[in-house]
Amino acid sequence: MTSLKRSHASTTPTTTLSSKTYLRTLKSGKVQKIVRELYLRQDIPCSSQLCTACLDLAPAGFHRKTEPFVLSATPSGTKEYPEGHYLVPDTNAFLSAMDLFESEGGVFQDVIVLQTVLEEVKNRSLPLYNRLIALTKNEGKRFYVFFNDFRLETYVQREAGETINDRNDRAVRKGCAWYAEHLQQAVKARKSARCPAVVMLSDDKDCLRKAKKEGIKSSNLQDYVSGLPDADRLLDMVASAREQRVTKESKAELLYPDYLSISAMLTGVKNATLHQGIFNVSPYNYLEGTVNVPSFDRALIIQGRESSNRAVSGDVVVIEILPTDQWKAPSSKVIEEEDVGKNENAENEDDAPEGIVSEQERRALQEEVRKTHGRSTEGQSQPTAKVVGIIKRNWRQYVGHIDKDSVRSRAKESRAQQTVFLIPMDKRVPKIRVRTRQAGDLLGKRVLVSIDSWDRESRYPVGHFIRSLGELETKGAETEALLLEWDVQYRPFPKTVLDCLPAEGHDWKVPASLEDPGWQGRRDLRDLLVCSIDPPGCVDIDDALHAKQLPNGNFEVGVHIADVSHFVKPNNAMDKEASLRGTTVYLVDKRIDMLPMLLGTDLCSLKPYVERYAFSVIWEVNANADIVSSTFTKSVIRSREAFSYEAAQLRIDDRSQQDDLTNGMRQLMMLSKKLRAKRMAAGALNLASPEVRVEAESETSDPVDVKTKALLDTNQLVEEFMLLANISVAGKIYDAFPQTALLRRHAAPPKTNFEELSNQLKVKSGLELRTDSSKALADSLDICTDPNEPFFNTLIRILATRCMMSAEYFCSGTQAYPEFRHYGLASEIYTHFTSPIRRYADLEAHRQLAAAIDYETLDASLQSRSKLEAVCKNINVRHRNAQMAGRASVEYYVGQALKGRVLEEDGFVMKIFSNGFVVFVPRFGIEGLIRLRDMAGDGEREPDSLFDAENYFLEIKGEKVQRKVELFQKVKVKISDEAEESTGKRKIKLQLV
Amino acid sequence: MPLDSSIYTLSALRLDGRRWNELRRINGQISTQQAADGSSYFEMGNTKIICTVNGPQEQKRGGGRDQSNEAKVEVEIGIAGFSGVDRKRRTRNDKRIQEMQYTISSAFQNTLFTHLYPHSTIAITLHVLSQDGSLLAACLNACTLALIDAGIPMSDYIAACTTGSMASYADKEDEADPLLDLNGSEEQELPFLTVGTSGGEDKVNVLIMETRVQMARLEAMISVGLDGCKQIRGILDGIVRAHGKKVLQSKVS
Repeated sequence: MTSLKRSHASTTPTTTLSSKTYLRTLKSGKVQKIVRELYLRQDIPCSSQLCTACLDLAPAGFHRKTEPFVLSATPSGTKEYPEGHYLVPDTNAFLSAMDLFESEGGVFQDVIVLQTVLEEVKNRSLPLYNRLIALTKNEGKRFYVFFNDFRLETYVQREAGETINDRNDRAVRKGCAWYAEHLQQAVKARKSARCPAVVMLSDDKDCLRKAKKEGIKSSNLQDYVSGLPDADRLLDMVASAREQRVTKESKAELLYPDYLSISAMLTGVKNATLHQGIFNVSPYNYLEGTVNVPSFDRALIIQGRESSNRAVSGDVVVIEILPTDQWKAPSSKVIEEEDVGKNENAENEDDAPEGIVSEQERRALQEEVRKTHGRSTEGQSQPTAKVVGIIKRNWRQYVGHIDKDSVRSRAKESRAQQTVFLIPMDKRVPKIRVRTRQAGDLLGKRVLVSIDSWDRESRYPVGHFIRSLGELETKGAETEALLLEWDVQYRPFPKTVLDCLPAEGHDWKVPASLEDPGWQGRRDLRDLLVCSIDPPGCVDIDDALHAKQLPNGNFEVGVHIADVSHFVKPNNAMDKEASLRGTTVYLVDKRIDMLPMLLGTDLCSLKPYVERYAFSVIWEVNANADIVSSTFTKSVIRSREAFSYEAAQLRIDDRSQQDDLTNGMRQLMMLSKKLRAKRMAAGALNLASPEVRVEAESETSDPVDVKTKALLDTNQLVEEFMLLANISVAGKIYDAFPQTALLRRHAAPPKTNFEELSNQLKVKSGLELRTDSSKALADSLDICTDPNEPFFNTLIRILATRCMMSAEYFCSGTQAYPEFRHYGLASEIYTHFTSPIRRYADLEAHRQLAAAIDYETLDASLQSRSKLEAVCKNINVRHRNAQMAGRASVEYYVGQALKGRVLEEDGFVMKIFSNGFVVFVPRFGIEGLIRLRDMAGDGEREPDSLFDAENYFLEIKGEKVQRKVELFQKVKVKISDEAEESTGKRKIKLQLV
Repeated sequence: MPLDSSIYTLSALRLDGRRWNELRRINGQISTQQAADGSSYFEMGNTKIICTVNGPQEQKRGGGRDQSNEAKVEVEIGIAGFSGVDRKRRTRNDKRIQEMQYTISSAFQNTLFTHLYPHSTIAITLHVLSQDGSLLAACLNACTLALIDAGIPMSDYIAACTTGSMASYADKEDEADPLLDLNGSEEQELPFLTVGTSGGEDKVNVLIMETRVQMARLEAMISVGLDGCKQIRGILDGIVRAHGKKVLQSKVS
């Protein structure tokens, strides 16, 4: 019998075989044993420009391109390493100080990232991994990934009984040792004297000790950074080191309950004893949060610091429902962190053990409980829960400013390290404790920080400082702050993106010859009388229209959309950038484009008098505006005129104008009114949101005035035809790709959303709000009027809008057809097609439509449901963020426009709390909180009050002020501005007159 | 587990440390089982296969008289329950196994000189002991060795391997590297094909692809595959010659 023993001959001279065995646990709980081969090689280069031996090894890929060597031959030196040095950081160095490695200015260059470290970083934190990868691509930083686990000399086999961490540390040390030796040889071969040191960066004491024993140069982060120029600034960027926390742990009291283990949470969620959802903090009360879970139709309340157990707004949490007797009513009180936690000390190191709930906080909440009990309102208490674990932190970078009271020594020269509180702009995020040496410098500046951790013994999360954006209230800093806060990508387009633009630049023209490939499959529509109607000053013109009467009495109507998909091909750098940005963001004074300027405002933009590529939807409609037939085609058009809404309106109204273009516009107007009537009859909602426009001085762009946006018939004209085009296209792409069409839906709001509003209406005005269908809602909104107050109806519409769900993009395969419905527009199916210059969803819809009409083949990325879902998820977020950023920008400018002025205006009471109320001022589209406390003068007590939550009124019984404030009541308010203490924003302050 | 393709873009090294055009370690032995007419043991990386050949022999089923005047090649594949990551029992009627059996038998039907053995059967039995990608290719190679051991005349070796295409499709399409000889985890993630040739790279006997891949990449994948087959043919030839030498030596002494 022959034995089947394994031979040990290697396959090629450069590789040796080893294998890696590990166990892994699947989601289902199954355990798998994986055996992987590992081919160890000797042809992985060191990538140092000093080394000549490795040059021959440069790998030849299939395409035979070689990578240039990254590490400089003359790396910079420090005091300790005068001959220059290469850095080899370990995993924790990257995890705790990524910001440091990213810092510019000649430090942290020539870094060797070991494969072991890279993989560990990836397992620990994907975002950090992505940042690290971006660093390795940055040529100036000279980061090189050395694949030590594939190189024979540096490969380390895990020994029996050795933990994976120890093995990885050993691998890092071995990598360092190899590099040091390898460089020595290289230097010897070159006969040069300068040999750079290889320095391991680690915070692990044990690892450092072993390195010293093995003769490897090493340093901990702190010591290394201290030796660099500008050390103070750099040191702040290191996440607060674990070591410091460890020393504290022994004496500190554990303030928060521990989290459950992951498996306990998963089992709990599976058994429905626990629930999973996203933690949202109320904008009015920082101590109260809500979590929406599928098994309850109303959001669960989480009240108090202890219950929210270190969750930050946005985290995915696991919660446990409290027993019924602990259920609470949603808070009817405004509690702001600045009022309650004013006098806390950021440095609490030795004495004063901090309680989890401060005395003031407890009082604020208790008062509440007493009040709710007093009114014996069992019916009002809602399911209440507490957080028992966190599935995923959604921490991002936060913009804020330093609480000046927490700074001990304000002198700019003081370099003592101190702990300060950072107050984030977003009120829902708790104060962040930051250690810094530059507190003096940073006072009064907008700064960017990130949260590192939130331990059980600390009342507040601990973070570190990243960079300063500039003085508070300067335009640059504030704009950057709000872009960062809403995660808008605002950096200029990288070169790879600009390379994708047509080489002709602004001289690009529609080819003259009809034989040109650009004309293939395109219809020549240059003789149509097309025009565009947009807001004044619009440069990115997405859409243009035409109409003409056909001999049979019907009308031909065309909507022509910029053919962006011709210029942006799937999966190139420009497409990827656009898909990341998702949408163009409009701020008051600037626009952050999704596509480079050249395309957005010139080549794609349907400018008048020039020929442009377009994607046209052409219908034949009868005089009743019913569609007889529709066609979709790529085309070439020449717009005759670009109107603003006002100009178009004037032209249509001017009877003396009888040319074909104007008559075409009149036909469009006539048809659009019919379309609108039909849509309204089907139950489309006419919603309102407070929209204002900031008038700016043309040169300085300083805001001078605020106007509410006027709505003209021409606005509605354009809107109607865009809706029609979107609906037609949605149907077409859904027919062609039933599984992967990119559509937009607007879910019907659950009844509970309207409960409060309809109750308020019933009590205050005796009106009924019916919400069974969008039609019923539209009709009942129409009768919600107050003969004495024309604005009342708009106010109700604004409030109703806030009860709605938000519309979202989705991929058709993920929902059943009835779920496609767009509630607000009362359409069965809907997508976005008409603004490809400024929305990525439209661009994708263009590609799908082009494939549906056999113009081109559909790219693979648009055929895969999972890819599309990822795209939808991203653009949904971007879309919302863009809206928020836009609103924040208007808010900032409104504040600036009112700076230094005191006005009296009409306002309406929108919401009532037990210690304040919210007033909406339609003239400026602003809403502001008036607290009872503000009514009292300095040093006076807050006036007494009686709050009736069932009848929605608040009676103020102060010494000076005696009045009753009701919901929906019209009040006169005095508007002035003040820089808000808590967020550092210039905000409008309202006072009751 | 999604395959970590980021390593490849950084270093041009695959997950197991190979370059794009490297085969895994290949090892084969001939005449491993004395009871069979021909047998072999073949490894491609961690894919391990035992193959036995019985025949040419009289047809088992005596019922209807077989009119054909060439031998029939019957293939049976048994995949051991412990061979994969998950313990799985495969039934005899498993569609995938049946298809592999058919592919192998039709490939050899045309390469063996079956006309020399009318009314008879050549039975090939394959036992998969461990699988880690390129299963069909390894089976074909194991069969070639066992058939040579059985002394059945054939026109040439059939040597087979797999090629895949790197998944970084989103990037530049024309830079998607073809990969030779995929292992199990690569096979799960990447589009791949199995190619088997005889006579160096002259004649393609087997070409199977079950995944979808962009047209533009196919050519590169096939040409890399043909090159791989040539290498494998050399390895198989080496195994046969070494075995022959040993047999001769034992005869002489």
